[in-house]
Amino acid sequence: MKGQQPPAGDLRLVDLTKRFGVFTAVDDLTLAVPQGSFFALLGASGCGKTTTLRMIAGLEQPTSGKVLLGEQDIAGLRPYRRPVNTVFQSYALFPHLDIHENVAFGLRRRGIRKVGDQVERMLALVQLEGYGRRRPAQLSGGQQQRVALARALINHPQVLLLDEPLGALDLKLRRQMQIELKRIQTEVGITFVHVTHDQEEAMTMADTVAVMNAGRIEQLGAPADIYEYPATAFVANFLGQSNLLAADAGGRAADDVLVTAHGARYSVPAGRARLTDGPAFLGVRPEKLHLADGPDRVPAGHQHVGGVVTDTSYVGVSTQYLVRTAWGSELSAFAANSGLGGRLAVGTAVTAHWDPRHAFLLPRAAGADDQTAPLLDGPPVGALP
Amino acid sequence: MRSPLRTLTRRGLLTGTVGSAALLATAGTLAGCGTKGAQQTEAGCKSEDLSATEKKVAFSNWPQYMDTDEKDESKRPTLDAFVAASGIQVTYTEDVNDNNEFFGKVRNQLAGCQSTGRDIMVLTDWMAARMIRLGWVQKLDKSKMPNVEANLLQSLRGRSFDAETQLAVPWQSGLAGLAYNANVTKEIRTVDELLTRPDLKGKVTVLSEMRDTIGLLLQSLGHDPAEFTAAQFDDALNKLKKAVDSKQIRRFTGNDYAPDLAKGDIAACIGWSGDVVQLGFEDEKIKFVVPESGVMLWSDNMLVPNKATHKANAEALMNHYYDPAVAAKLAAYVNYICPVQGAQAEMEKIDPDLATNPLIFPDDAMLSKAKVFMALDEAQEKEYETKFQQVIGA
Amino acid sequence: MSALAHVPASAGKPAPPPVRRGRSRLLPYLLLLPGAAWLLVFFALPLVQLASASLYDPSGSLTTGYAMTWAFGNYPDALQAYWPQFSRSFLYSAIALVLALLMGYPLAYAIAQKAGRWKNLLLVAVVAPMFTSFLVRTLAWKTILSDNGALVGLLRDVHLLGPDGRLLATPIAVVLGLTYNFLPFLVLPLYASLERLDPRLLEAASDLYASPLRAFAKVTLPLSMPGLIAGTLLFFIPATGDYINAELLGTPNEYMIGNVIDSAFLVRLDYPQGAALSFLLMAAILAIVFVYLRKAGTEEVL
Repeated sequence: MKGQQPPAGDLRLVDLTKRFGVFTAVDDLTLAVPQGSFFALLGASGCGKTTTLRMIAGLEQPTSGKVLLGEQDIAGLRPYRRPVNTVFQSYALFPHLDIHENVAFGLRRRGIRKVGDQVERMLALVQLEGYGRRRPAQLSGGQQQRVALARALINHPQVLLLDEPLGALDLKLRRQMQIELKRIQTEVGITFVHVTHDQEEAMTMADTVAVMNAGRIEQLGAPADIYEYPATAFVANFLGQSNLLAADAGGRAADDVLVTAHGARYSVPAGRARLTDGPAFLGVRPEKLHLADGPDRVPAGHQHVGGVVTDTSYVGVSTQYLVRTAWGSELSAFAANSGLGGRLAVGTAVTAHWDPRHAFLLPRAAGADDQTAPLLDGPPVGALP
Repeated sequence: MRSPLRTLTRRGLLTGTVGSAALLATAGTLAGCGTKGAQQTEAGCKSEDLSATEKKVAFSNWPQYMDTDEKDESKRPTLDAFVAASGIQVTYTEDVNDNNEFFGKVRNQLAGCQSTGRDIMVLTDWMAARMIRLGWVQKLDKSKMPNVEANLLQSLRGRSFDAETQLAVPWQSGLAGLAYNANVTKEIRTVDELLTRPDLKGKVTVLSEMRDTIGLLLQSLGHDPAEFTAAQFDDALNKLKKAVDSKQIRRFTGNDYAPDLAKGDIAACIGWSGDVVQLGFEDEKIKFVVPESGVMLWSDNMLVPNKATHKANAEALMNHYYDPAVAAKLAAYVNYICPVQGAQAEMEKIDPDLATNPLIFPDDAMLSKAKVFMALDEAQEKEYETKFQQVIGA
Repeated sequence: MSALAHVPASAGKPAPPPVRRGRSRLLPYLLLLPGAAWLLVFFALPLVQLASASLYDPSGSLTTGYAMTWAFGNYPDALQAYWPQFSRSFLYSAIALVLALLMGYPLAYAIAQKAGRWKNLLLVAVVAPMFTSFLVRTLAWKTILSDNGALVGLLRDVHLLGPDGRLLATPIAVVLGLTYNFLPFLVLPLYASLERLDPRLLEAASDLYASPLRAFAKVTLPLSMPGLIAGTLLFFIPATGDYINAELLGTPNEYMIGNVIDSAFLVRLDYPQGAALSFLLMAAILAIVFVYLRKAGTEEVL
């Protein structure tokens, strides 16, 4: 296609740092985004993810470090000279131009005269045929979002940056757009860097997720890998929920790492342990924690802890339980409402058990206590089909 | 598609409604009937005098045309003396800034024989003449003004617009002549020098008051401003036009030439004696010149307009200001020519320097050169004024 | 509705208000009444009177009165006699407008987008001259431009003016006076427009390959159009009818149509001509405004 540049290669950030006065927004960040992949930067607000994105776009100058596109350092280039386009959180559509002209804006600035076909094709791609003569204010939020996407995509950037593009949409529309975005990304094959604070959004769409916290990357990997085997307590609780028991790792025994927690002995497969000695968190996801009537009903090979049900919460596909242990921590457990077991009443003594292959062992700051997931307002990750 | 269409239509409808209602209401009354004449007669517009029961009088004058107390600007000694002696309360208003503007202010009332709310107004000769011509001014009772009868300067009696001296009583008089700033130019003596001397080019202003400027030019051409022909007027106007075209004249001014002359932005001008006397106090290099060919004498006159209801009180006030002692106090403050005989002797008690100043108490030689501009009828006034305005650019 | 609104059309559309009866239906008209009455008495009626005065027999006089003779000839006569002042008015105010735009646009932009916490102070500074009277401000310019003043001295020293050159009593002085006196009328609406300009739109433009200059031309300028149009009209209309600047800072050679109208009504007492000139001025301005709005094509302003 006309105007398409040859792929420049991977996007790499090297030792990227941004300080605003004494506040360090992005702290010595290094990461690589393979060309053509869908990359999500996930983090709470203020973690530096948007600042990172703006440095890639050129809207913010890094304090130090490099932004490499292939072999070229684009950190010094003005934004309008970078082969990078952005879908802004607020969409930032030009209110005085109609949809057609909004989409054509980038092409026209690069001196391309005949833009009609390209714009039509792009509007078709985002399923907005026939909307060309409308003004942005006449479109719904979802439609505006797609215009913003079309306006950026039409330029065939090396990298498309998406800054919380779905944040303003309601839940249903957001789901729909997530699928849409993923479809389009697969279709055009451009590198997408997507900034979001919505863990679910990141997991649904991205090939690779980087979880950011306080200007640094806590963990980077495929969504399932991060979920199944988080690297830090922060990740374990930011991406989904976890029951983290304060424990002490006591060295390896064969393929396992031995753990002591609250006076009981447990083990975790060595491949799921981030450490072998010292203070540790023994982690189990709530949906991997099962409840049984007593220790004798625990399946072979499972490890367990006793407790009392203190709260139940029925959310349709599953029921959430809070189980108070003998030492007072409340573990949470999700049981799928598959019709196989009855529901447990508050006050019932239960044994919570798990398969050690589903547990994970994380480093713990000395003195840190249990971190168990609170009862959720909404459905947990993965609990909905 | 932008949606203001609907609101626009509604708004358009409303303005349309308002507009057409206004047109309907007024078109019938205004269009097709013109205006009535403004001329009033003594019989047609009678005024009542309530002076016997209402001890008050409303006095409209120019700014800074009344003595004030040195310590308290709000006190006016000569006026306060009148109030104390007569028991008549004076409402003194400085609302005459310009003859034409003031005329515009009172025109509609006087043309319709309605009260202006003023008992005395002070206007310059030619405007006084116009008011008198239009029959807008009440006749005064000379028997109630013995001081005026006794002390009014001879040269100000029987003026063409007030042959009987019973309609207009001069408040102050003045000369229109030449003035220059000796800091920036050498002496000038004649009108011709002012209008042609190359070193003055672009540094000359003349008065936008037609009678003063044209009067001086008429005199410089040997004509008599008190009696001239249309051809002689054209002569004078041509002379002025040449000076405008050659850019000798920088602009036409009212009172506002004074600060420019003081700063030296203009070197010489046609100006008024009173202004120049005051500038001279601060900088003796600013001088007034009476040209050999003659100088214009004008007065600001107290008039009692139609429907003013305190004529007798007004006459008492005029009489008060023709007491030589009062006139001297006023003259010492305002520095214009004092129209009251005997004031010079009183002035010697106040300020001997001022008593010998010929611009306040002109001697006979100077008065013999001073002329009062001819009274014009309406047609002449319109014709001359239009011609003059064309030359001065408006 | 303004095209500037970012609110998605579907978001929270309010339910239509319940239908009200009786008095409340009259309320909008009652609210309109004071304004309409004011306009009727102080604008519409005088306008009609002025219109009829412009058609009086020009040979009438104050003494005898004016007869209504539908003398349409007053218009061509007035135009013929005073077309130089007429064209001068438009020329001067057009030049002043250009100068004011060159100064006012960057000023409004800086205050709206870059001033930060100084914004209010700067706005006050723009409006502050209006606290003194128009006349006083213009007289102050006489001092600034005075032949013996510092400004003229400086210009003479750098030979921008000849040794006898001056600013006062020249067209330059009149145009400068107009520029200065009406500048706030241009700046304030412009500021209001530019203040609403979302800086993220400029980031978006920059992201979409627009250099700062192009971003200005394609985003900032069109979005400030409502303010720009309102401002230029608020500047141009009174500036064209102004006579104080020409009177105080100029000479008869710089007199504008306002001076002529002033003299027709107050000095020459030629009411039909004064009225005809007033109407010609009004018609000319209306025509210009109309063409301008057509070209600028912004319904947002009206």
